[in-house]
Amino acid sequence: MTSDTPGGLLARLRRRRSQPRGRVRRRLGTVVRLTLALTLAGGVYAVFAPGLSADDTPQLSTAAAEGKVLFDQSCISCHGRNAQGVPDRGPSLIGVGAAAVEFQVSTGRMPMARQEAQAPRKPAIFDDDQTRQLAQYIQELGGGPQVPDGDLRAPGGDDEAMARGGNLFRINCSACHAFSGGGGALSSGKYAPSLKESTDRQLYSAMLTGPQNMPVFGDNQLTPEQKKEIISYVQVALKEDKDPGGWGLGRFGPVTEGLAIFLVGIVALVFTALWIAGKS
Amino acid sequence: MTTETHDHGVDRDEVDIFDPRLSRFEIVREGARRDGVEIVHYEDPFPVPGTKAERRMVRTVAACFWITGIAATAFLVIYIWWPWDYDLGSNKGKLYTPLLGLTLGIACLAVGFGILMWGKRLMPHEISVQDRHDGNSGQTERKLTGESIVYMADEIGFKRRKSLGLIALLGLTPIGIVAVAPLLGGLIKSPTKDRILFRTGWDPAANGGRLVRLTREDGTPIRPEDVSVGGQMTVFPDIPGGATNEHADSPTLLIHLRGEDAAKTSADAKPVNQGSQWGNYVAYSKICTHAGCPASLYEQQSNRLLCPCHQSQFLITDNARPIFGPATRSLPQLPITVDEDGYFVATSDYKVAVGPAFWERP
Amino acid sequence: MKRRKVDVAAIPGNFAGGLDDRFRGSTPLRRIINKVFPDHWSFLLGEIALFSFIMLLLTGVFLTLFYTPSLNTVTYDGSYAPLRGVHMSEAYASSLNLSFDVRGGLVIRQMHHWSALLFLAAIVVHMCRIFFTGAFRKPRELNWIIGLTMFWLAFLSGFTGYSLPDDALSGTGLRIASAIMLSIPVIGSWVTTGLFDGEFPGTVIMTRFYITHVLLIPAALLTLITVHLTLVFTQKHTQWRAPGRTEHNVVGERFIPRYIIKQSGFMMAVFGVIALMGGLFQINPIWLFGPYEAFTVSAASQPDWYVMFLDGSTRLFPAWEIRFDLFGWGDGYTIPPLFWPTVVLPGILTVAPMVYPFIEARLTRDYRRHNLLQRPRDVPARTSLGAMSIMFWLVLTLSGGNDVLADKFHVSLNAMTWAGRIGLLILPPLAYYVTYRICLGLQQHDREVLAHGVETGIIRRLPDGRFVEVHQPLAPIDEHGHGSLEYAGWVVPKKMNRVGALGPAIKGFFFPIEKPVEAPVSPGHPPVSPRPEREEITK
Repeated sequence: MTSDTPGGLLARLRRRRSQPRGRVRRRLGTVVRLTLALTLAGGVYAVFAPGLSADDTPQLSTAAAEGKVLFDQSCISCHGRNAQGVPDRGPSLIGVGAAAVEFQVSTGRMPMARQEAQAPRKPAIFDDDQTRQLAQYIQELGGGPQVPDGDLRAPGGDDEAMARGGNLFRINCSACHAFSGGGGALSSGKYAPSLKESTDRQLYSAMLTGPQNMPVFGDNQLTPEQKKEIISYVQVALKEDKDPGGWGLGRFGPVTEGLAIFLVGIVALVFTALWIAGKS
Repeated sequence: MTTETHDHGVDRDEVDIFDPRLSRFEIVREGARRDGVEIVHYEDPFPVPGTKAERRMVRTVAACFWITGIAATAFLVIYIWWPWDYDLGSNKGKLYTPLLGLTLGIACLAVGFGILMWGKRLMPHEISVQDRHDGNSGQTERKLTGESIVYMADEIGFKRRKSLGLIALLGLTPIGIVAVAPLLGGLIKSPTKDRILFRTGWDPAANGGRLVRLTREDGTPIRPEDVSVGGQMTVFPDIPGGATNEHADSPTLLIHLRGEDAAKTSADAKPVNQGSQWGNYVAYSKICTHAGCPASLYEQQSNRLLCPCHQSQFLITDNARPIFGPATRSLPQLPITVDEDGYFVATSDYKVAVGPAFWERP
Repeated sequence: MKRRKVDVAAIPGNFAGGLDDRFRGSTPLRRIINKVFPDHWSFLLGEIALFSFIMLLLTGVFLTLFYTPSLNTVTYDGSYAPLRGVHMSEAYASSLNLSFDVRGGLVIRQMHHWSALLFLAAIVVHMCRIFFTGAFRKPRELNWIIGLTMFWLAFLSGFTGYSLPDDALSGTGLRIASAIMLSIPVIGSWVTTGLFDGEFPGTVIMTRFYITHVLLIPAALLTLITVHLTLVFTQKHTQWRAPGRTEHNVVGERFIPRYIIKQSGFMMAVFGVIALMGGLFQINPIWLFGPYEAFTVSAASQPDWYVMFLDGSTRLFPAWEIRFDLFGWGDGYTIPPLFWPTVVLPGILTVAPMVYPFIEARLTRDYRRHNLLQRPRDVPARTSLGAMSIMFWLVLTLSGGNDVLADKFHVSLNAMTWAGRIGLLILPPLAYYVTYRICLGLQQHDREVLAHGVETGIIRRLPDGRFVEVHQPLAPIDEHGHGSLEYAGWVVPKKMNRVGALGPAIKGFFFPIEKPVEAPVSPGHPPVSPRPEREEITK
């Protein structure tokens, strides 16, 4: 039957088989063809695809994986499953960096107990390791600024560096946090908190990330050296240095001084006058 | 001394104070009487000398003076020998001032209470009454003095020589002014000269016609990427002394707004502020238009600028107009751009006067 | 030759005789010794001011030896490490030098500042006493005016004084002061450029403040204090009403030695309090504020307490500005909102109290001389007016610190401002009303005690079952049990220990520890043993 038809390669290829092949051979052929097709497609894709993008389970380091577990327990109700934020609840954390997480979590501000004008400092829920893990997770999730490791102060004994820190503090910080670092009121119930309990890392991360209404002081504006100078000034000159003139009355300035002169000075002297001269 | 009580107001004859039988107290009382003072009650708290109560009181007063001496000596010792050099941290030098105050205070209080207790407890109690002899001088004296004064006018002759008096007055008036003129004149300095109240350090005219760059406090110029989104920087004109009190009206706040805030600010800019913004960057005068404090508290999320002195609040996204507090005028906006080297410059001085308002400000 | 024997015992007498030969001082001296001064604790309040002023002079002289009133820029190189290398004015550097590099400098500086606060506090308390007791009435109106003038001089002295160190806090206050001067219509800008020799801050203001603070104001104060005390001396002090006291006498003690002893003892007590506060309580830590720079400020910036009411009035005054055109003359004119709370209000507060004695005399039609004081309850209108003024002042002063209150008590800052604005309008009239009712109540109680007697605390049961409290009458009573005493203006005894029914309370300061006196017995009666202490029945 095959020899009757006109021949040529093309003609032969166009001709249908006069007789179907055997079933097994057919099956085998299918498998081979499928395998070849898949390999071809996969190869082309692998060559031309733009590279692996984040899917539901990105590759995280161990610390970040631990952080993700903590995040899923405590943070997604306001910040969303992928830290993309929830409207009217919590902002997106993409790009905030480990520094922001370190600040908010180590000061206990996050997790926030309720929605209010400003998140107050409170006892931290997570310990140092857990904070680090959460920070690593957010860092790997969306990137952002990080607090450098190591000593965050100006070189010890360098008074001029601390003095420069003082200058920078007075230009950039004292307007909100007061000359003493004791904090101050902002509009409508907000406030710049006291720096009394802040650690070096918390000071650094706050400057770097600008939490809530605090302005952001990026590394181009205040270099890491300048941030360290400010930290030296705050921690040493403001906090460690004791008042030389006696009790500082809370370092509030004239308000407590005025109160003291009446409550101590005038009261003591009026009682003395009562003792001296009595009543008529 | 004895306890003496007398009826107030009983008239007695003059006592002969040279009478040798009089006691000293009686002479004193007579002297007081002649000064219009009646000693009506005089009682020694310890009429019998040497009682236990008296000795106890004397010991108490003596103790006060002992404490004075000890405290004063302690003050001197501490003043001279206690270490007082200033060192950071917590050290003995920090106790210098408190110890000085404590010892001096105790010394003063002890001597004070010693003196007071001596007077109150050891000395006789007395009640005296003195006539006031107040009221006016009486008709006779008034007439005598009044007529003397009026007669002076007659003597000088104001009525007789009226024109002389008038000319004297006219001539003397300028002398009175002459006495005061140099004091006031030396103080007068015109505020309208050079329009100093309307110009700041950003004026190119004071910079040789060149546009003035924005600098940090240390004088380095500023690129846009130096200020982060949501950040603010205090900037100064790039002229000699620009970052000092010599140009106290020039400090400016450079703010990098978020995209949507910047778009809103640009769209809502009032005519005088149009074109002053550069990209997402705005620059407003830091000198509050209420009383001149630097309005420095920038809230990056609410875009409010709070001045700490009297709580004026300015809305940065709406021409820095005041939205709370006693301020009535927006913060002037500094028109900025970036020069060919990539640094911020001011394209001109502020378009309105900077700082607190004054009479001549339109 | 035989040496003439010197009679040592006669030396004082000879010396005094020599003085009298030259100055004829015997009689005036004795008159001063015998002068009678009345005695009451409230008469010592002015002395607190006087003695703080003396302390100010003493400590101030020390400070002038170390302070430099110059605004030239220097680089700090002293002991305080956190400011080393910082550019600052010489005034600030010399103040730091005084605090850290002069032996005992800090304690003297702090004593000076505390004395200043005490000076003004004492003046205010003293003025209140004068006002509430009516001591300003004829013939003492001039002394009242002099006193008010001294208050404002002390105010200016304090302001110039705390501005001298040129630190950030007082420099901010100086900036506000220049804005206040600018706000004066027509002449404001001329006054400011005249005082600062150009634009703020200029270079001469510190020298001008210095000479004002160390020479001009102290000289004026010394003169006025001398006149003030001389008037008290010659017009004689007022006194409270009491038995034996009239408008024409003074009852008390003679000047020397008793009054002088009290004065000098009190002076040492005032000095002691100032020294204790100067050492134990830090004040005005200028090293923490930093030097004054026009672009830096601290949160919680306030002036000293006596200026704080002006800070409060400035914070509370709404944003009301008057702008107008003078028919094409010039570009337009402005009366800034700062003018009303900082220029007009102090102007009113200066003039109104000065003319008050004459206003009150006119309103009460009382043109007589008064040497006896009035109990505040007996003049409810004046007392309530005073309470109203104090409440007004208090709301302003607290509003001057409203950011500190907002921050520390977690109240919204904006809410504090509104609370101050509304409180300023509502609280003073409320204070007037409440004080008036209290005065009337006290007056009524006085008359009730005069009529019904003093409550003894002894409850008696009558035969018909009623309980009554036994009252001790103060005078013979009629058949209804009412006394016939008229209120005479002096303190009505309201407790049993005041009428001598209980022994004098020599123990206890706040609450007297009283024991009943032994009952008086007649001479023929056998001696009475003291009442046995009551024993508690425990079984």
